[in-house]
Amino acid sequence: MATHDIFMPALSSTMTEGKIVEWLKKPGDKVERGESVLVVESDKADMDVESFHDGFLASIVMPAGSSAPVGETIGLIVETADEITAAQANAPSPPQSASQDKESSSPQVQERIDSADISKETVVKEAQPTAPLAPEPALAQPQFFKDGRIIASPRAKKLASQMGVDLATVRGSGPHGRIQAEDVQSAKGQPISVPWIAESNAPAKIVTEVSRIEKKSIDSDKPPAAGKSFGSRGETIAFNTLQQAVNRNMEESLNTPCFRVGYSILTDELDSFYKQVKPNGVTMTALLAKAVGLTLARHPQVNAAFSSEGIAYPSQINVAVAVAMEDGGLITPVLQNADETSLADLSLQWADLVKRARNKQLEPQEYSSGTFTLSNLGMFGVDRFDAILPPGTGAILAVGASLPKVVASKDGSISIRKQMQVNLTADHRVIYGADGALFLKDLAYLIEQNPYSLSS
Amino acid sequence: MNKKLHSVSPESGPNSNLDLTRQLAQSSSAFLFEPKNIVPFQTALGWQKDFQKSLIEKPFSPQAVWLLEHFSCYTIGRGGNKKNLLFEDNKSPLPVFVIERGGEVTHHMPGQMVGYLVLNLSFHKKDLSWYLRKLEQVLIDVLDLLGLEGKRVDGMTGVWCEDKKVGSIGIGCKRWITQHGFSLNIDCDLIGFEKIIPCGLDKVKLGKLSDWIPGIKVCDVKPLLRESVERRFKLKWENI
Repeated sequence: MATHDIFMPALSSTMTEGKIVEWLKKPGDKVERGESVLVVESDKADMDVESFHDGFLASIVMPAGSSAPVGETIGLIVETADEITAAQANAPSPPQSASQDKESSSPQVQERIDSADISKETVVKEAQPTAPLAPEPALAQPQFFKDGRIIASPRAKKLASQMGVDLATVRGSGPHGRIQAEDVQSAKGQPISVPWIAESNAPAKIVTEVSRIEKKSIDSDKPPAAGKSFGSRGETIAFNTLQQAVNRNMEESLNTPCFRVGYSILTDELDSFYKQVKPNGVTMTALLAKAVGLTLARHPQVNAAFSSEGIAYPSQINVAVAVAMEDGGLITPVLQNADETSLADLSLQWADLVKRARNKQLEPQEYSSGTFTLSNLGMFGVDRFDAILPPGTGAILAVGASLPKVVASKDGSISIRKQMQVNLTADHRVIYGADGALFLKDLAYLIEQNPYSLSS
Repeated sequence: MNKKLHSVSPESGPNSNLDLTRQLAQSSSAFLFEPKNIVPFQTALGWQKDFQKSLIEKPFSPQAVWLLEHFSCYTIGRGGNKKNLLFEDNKSPLPVFVIERGGEVTHHMPGQMVGYLVLNLSFHKKDLSWYLRKLEQVLIDVLDLLGLEGKRVDGMTGVWCEDKKVGSIGIGCKRWITQHGFSLNIDCDLIGFEKIIPCGLDKVKLGKLSDWIPGIKVCDVKPLLRESVERRFKLKWENI
């Protein structure tokens, strides 16, 4: 027995909510996989929403004429006719204000929390008839009801099936006990993966991570896949909004005549400086952003971008740093005025940006105002890579891991030094080879000879 | 927004051992139909349904585009408000069709060029707002070739010339296969619009290209539309 949610689909990358024009099926109607169940409208476009399952439309959560946020459950499909009544009883009740489609979504959410609370109370009563009715602590909300209906986000469901986690055993931390992806991961005992952030350019971290995963896999008998994937074998998973946005930008970059220029930078001095300032909360991301910012201040050409009118020199030096998102896609939070902001402030700002990026709370100018981009895969042990230029900017720097190398110095002596490879991708219409080379030479000088100047 | 998103590294594609060349070539091909005679609305609707159905069943079957004229009629989207029909039920001077597209009531008549596109957006971009803007661009391109400045109006769909709306757009979509499309007023009689509130927009002024280019005919505009659709959606016309 299973209940399947029908979600408000995203008809376009900019759509946040859609209007239900018409339900083509009534509750109780039989539906076939692929059959249109309802029609959603956004602007002048109508989209038929199909059922992904054979079964019955058990419940209409959001009636025709109402609007719902993208991803919201708007109806329920069950597999057998017997399940209709049970699913209807537990369906989130439609908001009373639903017929007014201009209504904001917050009252609807409130309504749904209320209905979930009521069903929760019923379950508690039925399950523990002798127990005193003490107020439930918020965290102990059982999210699975008597008929087995589980409220979980689509991502959590996907993760659960990939990781072999039974959702009925997972405690939901989301609104009205909804199971989130994080809950599935913590149930599995896996570290909650946050966006990968360039917090270090040393490869050491990955080693401990790997050994821990290996140990786990022996315990659980189910080796987790080494790489990350959004779907299972044989599946095709639609791009999410962020992935679509990235796709567009990547395709757009094919219209830019780019070239690459690389440099090896010794990092022993930088590493020892990092050790000194780390206790003050300074992060490697802040150090790199500051170093890049200061060097850009001396090389305005590398901070410039192509525009149809000519070379555009931005009024600020804003360093964007690429962050991969856990559920796909990536985002580039921006450290504004990286050349003029102190290391401590950059570190604080970065922590705040990443936290809000994870919760998808960034304002557009916080991820779209970068004038130069930094992409660091050093923490994975990558020794070198090249990056794709984000549209609207002139250059991006790909930073590899800092690794011990045998280095010959000018006087002929040989020593082991730590070396990091960086690779600049630049738009040749604005930045020429010599511009890129001089920028890298200066950046290398700053990092190798004078990292202490970063704190000024 | 999303202007600066980008990929971290250019990973090599996983599809090296799949030859998609033939299918990809298929994805840009479309049949172009330009009926010489005026077409009843329901006939064209049937044609679109057939192509949409076969594309849903076989995503690589041919896409199709029609450029045609209709006999006078009104059409209204499923979500449309009947209040925008300024006559009582059953007292319509012209046939009224409720159809599976977005948007409010509109009016078709000879002298207006209608473009229907049954495309698989999975091959283009799975984004209906992108698709609507592309359709607008098709019309803006055509106006540009005629020396007119076509404009969008913020927050609305359609194409305006000066302060008059000349092009309307409404589409339906199932599994990213589109139907319906656009209409462009060329030298038609606009009097039928007085019986409705076009697009649900009170006080919208309708125009036609012959207001600016006296004597212009449908046959002058049709080749421009054909080329603009071909270019904007990167289509290759199949031989019929």
